[in-house]
Amino acid sequence: MILNPLDFSGRKVLVTGAASGIGLATCKLLSELGASVVAVDCSETGLANTLNSLSGTGHTSHCFDLRDVSEIPGALVEWAQSDGKLHGLVHAAGSSLVSPTRLFSLESYHDVMAVNTEAALALLCGFQNRKVCLKEGGSVVFISSVMGLVGSAGASVYAMSKAALIGLTKSSALEFAPRGIRVNCVAPGFVKTQMYERMALMWNDDQRRQVELAHPLGLGEASDIAHSVVFLLADTSRWITGTVLVCDGGYTAS
Amino acid sequence: MTQNICTLITGASSGIGRETAIKLSDSQRILLHGRDLDRLEETRQHCKNPLDHYIWAADLGDVKQIDTSLSSALSRNNIKISNFVHCAGTLHIGPLRLQEHDATIDLFNINFFSAVEISKLLIRKKINSNILHGIIFVSSTASKFGARGFSTYCASKGALDAYMRALAVELAPDVRVNSILPGAVRTSMTESIFEDVDIINRMEDGYPLGLGKQSDIASAVEFLLSSSARWITGQQLVVDGGRTVNISG
Repeated sequence: MILNPLDFSGRKVLVTGAASGIGLATCKLLSELGASVVAVDCSETGLANTLNSLSGTGHTSHCFDLRDVSEIPGALVEWAQSDGKLHGLVHAAGSSLVSPTRLFSLESYHDVMAVNTEAALALLCGFQNRKVCLKEGGSVVFISSVMGLVGSAGASVYAMSKAALIGLTKSSALEFAPRGIRVNCVAPGFVKTQMYERMALMWNDDQRRQVELAHPLGLGEASDIAHSVVFLLADTSRWITGTVLVCDGGYTAS
Repeated sequence: MTQNICTLITGASSGIGRETAIKLSDSQRILLHGRDLDRLEETRQHCKNPLDHYIWAADLGDVKQIDTSLSSALSRNNIKISNFVHCAGTLHIGPLRLQEHDATIDLFNINFFSAVEISKLLIRKKINSNILHGIIFVSSTASKFGARGFSTYCASKGALDAYMRALAVELAPDVRVNSILPGAVRTSMTESIFEDVDIINRMEDGYPLGLGKQSDIASAVEFLLSSSARWITGQQLVVDGGRTVNISG
């Protein structure tokens, strides 16, 4: 038998934002590696599509709006009771906002922070519950962004929400290391997803070209991020915690 | 494995380099570099299918010889290099007032300048036919954080990482260049730090996931060289059991 350290057989991983983009790509890759996936998203039809596109069996889905932040920890306990305990958690759901600061609206700020940041904290709180994660520990991966590391005009709110995930990653990594729970994040550059397409609608051709040129390896695919997420979930990264893995085609190096 | 396309691993006779060579030998041919022919042969015997792998014995401290020595090793064995993993490294621990210029030059030659010479050689079309597509420098968390007595070591690893970022931009999209920043892993290079039980215990307290294994670093090398990391370039991947986020350590 060939040893595959990325083998997820018998392992259950919960993925938020499972209906599209990075979340969907992560669900697919995990299922190909033998994991059973607990897919979470606020789109019922999107979840049905996701389940149809997965390999293997044992997958479940839950239609849930992560804006109900205070309901999240309880929901995880409920799902663990019905679906089984989790080895891993991936928070890929995200809300984007590009808007100049003079148009500041507390409402849209709260919306972005709820989905991107507060939900991450509540998911971690739910995951660490002994009724949810396995006794031997597990691995949590947040999806941050290069916008959490460098700046972009108009991205203040989005950047705040994603930079906060890096702070959360580092401190919670220390808090949960004694329990064998590793916490890391992936910081993607611009990836061709529906969210990117919505943002790109606001740019002219010149701006689009500039964004592409800023990535020495070109724009990324959702599957590129999924591969990094899976590396951080698997035993291949047994000694990695509190780390930000930047997957950005060279964007922040230039 | 019909073509002689190899991954070059420097410092392959011991520690992280040796472990990485053995792990990667499952899936690719390796050109094992080290100073000592017997120890390289010993590493080769632990690789999968030992006869598939090659040996390049050279002292990287002798930077000016690298170009001739490596290009003749490549032509002699009819080898091209697709990936270059720089694991060779040396460590002089000592307070600033005792830092000798010659020792600093020696440390920079092995940790940094040799990587420059090898990278330069491997992008030459005449010698390596544009075969190179991945470079990994095994740097250190000492590249980002200070430690008493480590001044020149920190500086050499900082240079390596700055060079890595610039190369990543210059060589994209043909070659991806990244570095791995391990925390303290017990090897022959770090043996002097680990010789005292008290020091081991104190160090262990600073590592939330405990001390690391050589295989933890080799796994990260394997990931960054693989197509799974095809969109990662110019990055420092910290593999340190949480040590550098631990401000109480």
